[in-house]
Amino acid sequence: MNETLEKRSMGLRASRTISNTLIYIVLVIMSVVWLIPFICIVLQSFRVESTWQVGYVIPQQWGWDNYIALWNSDFKRWYLNTFIIALAVAVLQTVIVLCMSYTLSRFRFKLRDGLMRFMLILGMFPGMLTMIILYRVLKDLGLTQANAVPGLILVYVASSGMGYYVSKGFFDTIPKSLDEAARVDGATRAQVLTKIILPLAKPIVIYTILTAFMAPWGDFVFARYVSFGTSAGMNVAVGMYGWLQLDQIGQKYTMFCAGGVVVAIPVTILFMCLQKYYVEGVTGGAVKG
Amino acid sequence: MASVKLTKVKKVYDNKVVAVHDFDLDIKDKEFVVFVGPSGCGKSTTLRMIAGLEDISDGTVEIDGEVVNDLQPKDRGIAMVFQNYALYPHMTVYDNIAFSLRLQKMPEDEIYERVTKAAEILGITDYLLRKPRALSGGQRQRVAIGRAMVRNSKVFLMDEPLSNLDAKLRNQMRAEIILLRQRLDTTFIYVTHDQTEAMTLADRIVIMKDGYIMQVGTPEECFDMPKNLFVAEFIGAPKMNVMETELIKEGGKYFVKPFGAKIEVDGAKGELLHEFNAQPGQIILGVRPEHIVLSKDGEHAIPCTLEVNEMMGSELHLHVFTEDGTRLIVRVPTIDLTAEERSGLVRGKKLFLSFEGKVMHFFDKESKKNLLIREE
Repeated sequence: MNETLEKRSMGLRASRTISNTLIYIVLVIMSVVWLIPFICIVLQSFRVESTWQVGYVIPQQWGWDNYIALWNSDFKRWYLNTFIIALAVAVLQTVIVLCMSYTLSRFRFKLRDGLMRFMLILGMFPGMLTMIILYRVLKDLGLTQANAVPGLILVYVASSGMGYYVSKGFFDTIPKSLDEAARVDGATRAQVLTKIILPLAKPIVIYTILTAFMAPWGDFVFARYVSFGTSAGMNVAVGMYGWLQLDQIGQKYTMFCAGGVVVAIPVTILFMCLQKYYVEGVTGGAVKG
Repeated sequence: MASVKLTKVKKVYDNKVVAVHDFDLDIKDKEFVVFVGPSGCGKSTTLRMIAGLEDISDGTVEIDGEVVNDLQPKDRGIAMVFQNYALYPHMTVYDNIAFSLRLQKMPEDEIYERVTKAAEILGITDYLLRKPRALSGGQRQRVAIGRAMVRNSKVFLMDEPLSNLDAKLRNQMRAEIILLRQRLDTTFIYVTHDQTEAMTLADRIVIMKDGYIMQVGTPEECFDMPKNLFVAEFIGAPKMNVMETELIKEGGKYFVKPFGAKIEVDGAKGELLHEFNAQPGQIILGVRPEHIVLSKDGEHAIPCTLEVNEMMGSELHLHVFTEDGTRLIVRVPTIDLTAEERSGLVRGKKLFLSFEGKVMHFFDKESKKNLLIREE
């Protein structure tokens, strides 16, 4: 009797080990496939023997030449532009989204449901549809080409309020009695938000900051349209795209790879520091709600 | 310390549902008033209107002579304890209690003094650096009370503060609230659905139903002289037995005839019936379970059959059915029974019940009002 049980448990253990091993092998293969392009770009960025595309991955001569060339090009300007836009959008959009979410989660007012439905439907239209009119408006305001940075900030921030769903869902899970207790304790509505709700909604605040930072950091279509060929108004994506044109790719390919690495650094650091909260933020509202 | 006055207070929700109708109440300084009633009777809504957490649709709320209808909760001089404690989960116990004082920009050393004093009174000094999630239900409730205590408010509001605790802890905390009340010596308004809490804590009870006040009175008044059948059944556990019966007058004496028995209404209740010149006819008779006794067969006894015998320790709760199928409950102290009598109380046993005139309550069959209380 005991022997049979022991055999069965050994069998179970063996089958679990096999299935785990298979799962890990598949995951490792997927990770390698996913990482190859990144590794290639990093390696190419250190290649100094030639600046054009070659048929091998590992450089024959290593050096910082491409990064130094970056420093001496317009890249500095584009990088600063991108950083200013992303930072401003991250701050403004986070404030707007959180205020909007708190309002929709906690206040009951006329047309509240109508407003939420309206924004939901409005959000279903692709942003591209507004490109022409937005360009006209920005041009009239003098916010295109060399002045593209404030123009782009305005465009990205303008529609922020509509991204309230995730954070409102999270706020809804925080008991209203906490707000009430704080109000009885002497807090104003603003203090309730800053001292009670936001500390409790840390994951969603970080999620909001990250998404608000990421969107303009990697934007290409709108940024290209608004900067319209003026280097001073370009972001990194638009500026570096020029290096991939036929007339430049031969001299700028390795620089392009170095630029890619530099662009990825702040985002990678941000994600590595905040990934715990990011995952909680994405899943938190859904699970608790 | 302050008085609270509610005049014609009304609450109508957006969907036109009226939660509270013309609520009039004068709460004296340092009085302990309990709002009690079943779910949905408007007791919490009324409390929340006093606190400023709910808009007042009509009428006025005055605290210490000042109309507070349009004041923010923080400006009303109230402190409140919530049913689910509403402790701030990201703060330690100390920070939770100190929160309101910090908002007042009180110096830290004074905050420290007040918080530690409150913690000492409530026996939570050892937990001051813990987060609420590391506390038991009873400890959390103490923190919630501590948070309200340190504010030195004029009025102390409590919204079902014990309903999340288990029965044993509830009894203990009830006793502690009585002590706290003596120590704070301020005006208390307490909401509960538990009539035992209301009876034990209150100076005056406000019994509510469907947004209306059914009776305002001391626990004794509500128990001994319920204004209507609702109050009679709500106050007291197990609830009062009610039976439709006939009130007759023979030879200058009143009698009731429940389930074939004929019982004279003697004593004070008989005199009151005379005083009110009660008209014979069909009425609703109420008798509390503890006022019914087991007796022998006779003209004054109600024959019935035992259905369930609940052993409660010091007493038995006997659920019996009369011959016409009416269910009655009788409380019998176990000390009054011999072992033999007790073992004989099994399902199907024929019993005879009787009660005296002085324990009877008489209600109008239509209006359900007490026949022995004059309309105001």
